[in-house]
Amino acid sequence: MRKATLSVSAALFVLAVVYWLAADAIPASRLAGQVGADGLPKLLGLALGVLSLLLAGQTLFEMRRAAAADGGDDQDKGEDRLPGSWREHLRALGLIGIGVGYLLVLPHLGYMVSAGLLLAAVATYAGLKPSPATLLFAIGGGVLFYLIFVKILQIPLPAGFWPGLLR
Amino acid sequence: MNGLTYALTAVTTPSTVLAAAGGVLWGILGGALPGLSPSIAMALLLPFTFDMSPLAAIIMLTGVYIGAEYGGSIPAILIRTPGTNAAAATVIDGYTLHQQGRGGEALGLSLVAGTIAGLVGLICLVLLTAPLSALALYFKPPAYFALAFLGLSIIAALSEGSLVKGLIMGVIGLMVSTVGTDPLSGVTRFTFDEPDLLGGIDYIFVMLGVFAVAELMSKVAEKDGGDGGITKTVARVKLPSLQKLWELRRAQAIGTAVGIIEGPIPGAGGTVAAFLSYNETKRWSKTPEKFGKGSEEGVVAPEAANNAVTSSALIPTLSFGIPGSNSMAILLGGLLIHGIQPGPMLLSSRPDLVYGLFGGLFMSNIFMLIFGLLVLGPAIWLVNRPKPYLTAGIFMVVLSGIYVINQSLFDFWIVLIAGIVGYGMRLLKFPVLPLILGIVLGYMVESNYRRSLLLTNGEHRVFFENPLSLGLLICAGLIIGMAILSEIRRFRRSGVEVHG
Repeated sequence: MRKATLSVSAALFVLAVVYWLAADAIPASRLAGQVGADGLPKLLGLALGVLSLLLAGQTLFEMRRAAAADGGDDQDKGEDRLPGSWREHLRALGLIGIGVGYLLVLPHLGYMVSAGLLLAAVATYAGLKPSPATLLFAIGGGVLFYLIFVKILQIPLPAGFWPGLLR
Repeated sequence: MNGLTYALTAVTTPSTVLAAAGGVLWGILGGALPGLSPSIAMALLLPFTFDMSPLAAIIMLTGVYIGAEYGGSIPAILIRTPGTNAAAATVIDGYTLHQQGRGGEALGLSLVAGTIAGLVGLICLVLLTAPLSALALYFKPPAYFALAFLGLSIIAALSEGSLVKGLIMGVIGLMVSTVGTDPLSGVTRFTFDEPDLLGGIDYIFVMLGVFAVAELMSKVAEKDGGDGGITKTVARVKLPSLQKLWELRRAQAIGTAVGIIEGPIPGAGGTVAAFLSYNETKRWSKTPEKFGKGSEEGVVAPEAANNAVTSSALIPTLSFGIPGSNSMAILLGGLLIHGIQPGPMLLSSRPDLVYGLFGGLFMSNIFMLIFGLLVLGPAIWLVNRPKPYLTAGIFMVVLSGIYVINQSLFDFWIVLIAGIVGYGMRLLKFPVLPLILGIVLGYMVESNYRRSLLLTNGEHRVFFENPLSLGLLICAGLIIGMAILSEIRRFRRSGVEVHG
C-alpha cells in the first residue's frame, strides 16, 4: 500500500500543478473584488501540492523505518502491498465497464431493454450462473424498473428506437 | 403559526406522512442488508426526492436514517452480521440471545429501546435548536466564513488516523466545489467549454459515486456470489413487557444519554455511541458477567444509543449547517438541492420546515415501531437473496436515480468516475467525509470570505474583530491543533512499536 500511496502522492502533485495552471488561466473580472475568481483555486492548488509532498515524505519515512526495524530485510511486506489482488481490482473496474456499456446502449435500446441487459450482466458478473432464473430476473427487473421510473415516477427516460419502429 | 402548528400540519399532511412511512420502510430494509449503510441508503434515495416538496424530502431522508439504525440490528441478531456499523455492538449479545432461542425477544428489545431513545433524542433536538438558532441575528459574512471554516476544520478530527490524507481529501472536495461559475463575478472556472459543467459538479453525483458505486465495486471484487442466504431462520418480534422495560431502565437511560451526547460530535456517530454505551452499561450493570452471554442490557444499550444519535446528530446540521457524519452530509445535500440553506437562519427563515421536520421525526419513530413488527419477514427474505441479485438491483437503482436530477447522460460519467475514485480511496484508506465536507462547504467558505473582504475593502482584520467569527476561528484552531498533536503522538507511538 505504501508504494501505491507514493504513486498517488506523485499523481496528486501533478494534479496540483495542472490545477494551479488552470486557475492562473481564469480571466479576471472587475466584479470580483479584492480576491478574484482565481484566488481560492490557486490557494487550493498550492495546498494540494504541499500536502502531496508531505504525504510522499511521510510514506517514505514509514517505509525506511519499517525497513530499518526489519534489519534491511525484504521490503515487500504486507504494508507495502496494495490490499487485494490486481484481479480483484480489475473485477471491480469491470462493474464500471458494465455501467459504461449501459450508457452507450441506453439512448438506442431504451430504458427497459437497457435495464434488463444491465441486470443480467451485473448479476452474472457478480457470480450468478446464467440460467432461466437469471433471464427471468432480467426481464422482470427491466419491466419493474420501467413501470416504477417511467410510468409511476414519470421520469422521461430514453425510449430508444422502439417508438419509431412501432409507428 | 407557531411551531406546534407546523409540526401538527406535517403529521396530518398525506405527502409527509407517506414520505415518513416510505423512508422508514426503505431504511429498515436497506439497513437490514449488510453493506448498505444508512448513508448509502439515503444517497440512493436522494435523486428521487428532487421532485418532492422540501419538507417531504427531508422527512423521507431522516426516515431512512432512523429506519436503517433498527434495520441493521435484524441481521446482527439473526445471522451475526451487522447490517450497519452501528449494529456491530448489538451482535455481541443479540446473536447469543438468538442462539438461546430468544431472537424474537432481542429484536423486540432493539425495536422498543430504539423507539424510546429516538423520541427522547427528538425532545432534546426540539429544545436545543431554537436557542442555537437565536444566534442567527449575529451572523454576518465574516461569521459565516468562520462557521464554514470550523466545519472544514472538523476534517482534521475526522481523518481516521491520517491527518494528511484527510486534509488532501478536504482540499480535493474544495477543488470540486470551484468547478462551474464563480459565485461573485460570474466567470466560468474549470468548465473546459463543457456546458454541463457550467452549473458545477452536483455533490449528489459525487456522493452516489463514492458511497454507493464504490461499495458495489468492492462487493463485485470479492466475488462470493451465488448463495447469499445464510439462514432460513424466521423469527417473530416479541415486544418486551412494561415490567421488562422498567428492569432495563438503566441500560435504556445510559444508551439514550450517550447517544444524545455523541450525536452532535462530528465523526462520533452511531457506531461510537453504540460501543461506548455498551461499555458504560456493562460497567454500571448489576450483572456485568452476563454481558457477552446473552444479556438483554447488551442489546438495549447500543440500540438506544444509535437511535438517539439519529435525532441529536441533526443539531449541528440544522443549526450550523455543518454535517458531522456521512448521513448528515447526505441530508445536508438533500436540503441544498431544494434551495434550503441550513444554518443559523434556518429556523427564522423556514420555521415550517424545521418544526415540520420535528413532526416528521416523531412520525418516523412511530413508523419504525410499526414497520419493525411487520417487515421482519420481508427483511429476512431480502437478506437471504443471493448477493448478485442485490448488487444488480442496487446498481440499477443508482443509475436510474441519476437521470432524475438533470435528465443528462453527462451526470452518469461523474458518478462512475466518482465511483472509481471512491474505490481507490477505500483501498488506500483515504477518508471520504472530508471530501464531502469540502464539496458541501466550499461555496459557503469562498463566497463569505470574499463578501467579507468586499464589505471592508480587503481588510482581513474583520474576521478577528467580529466576536462570533473570532470565537469560531479559535474553536477551529483548537480542533486543528488537537488533531495535529494526536497525529504526532500516533506517529511517535508507531515508531516506538516498530523499534520495540
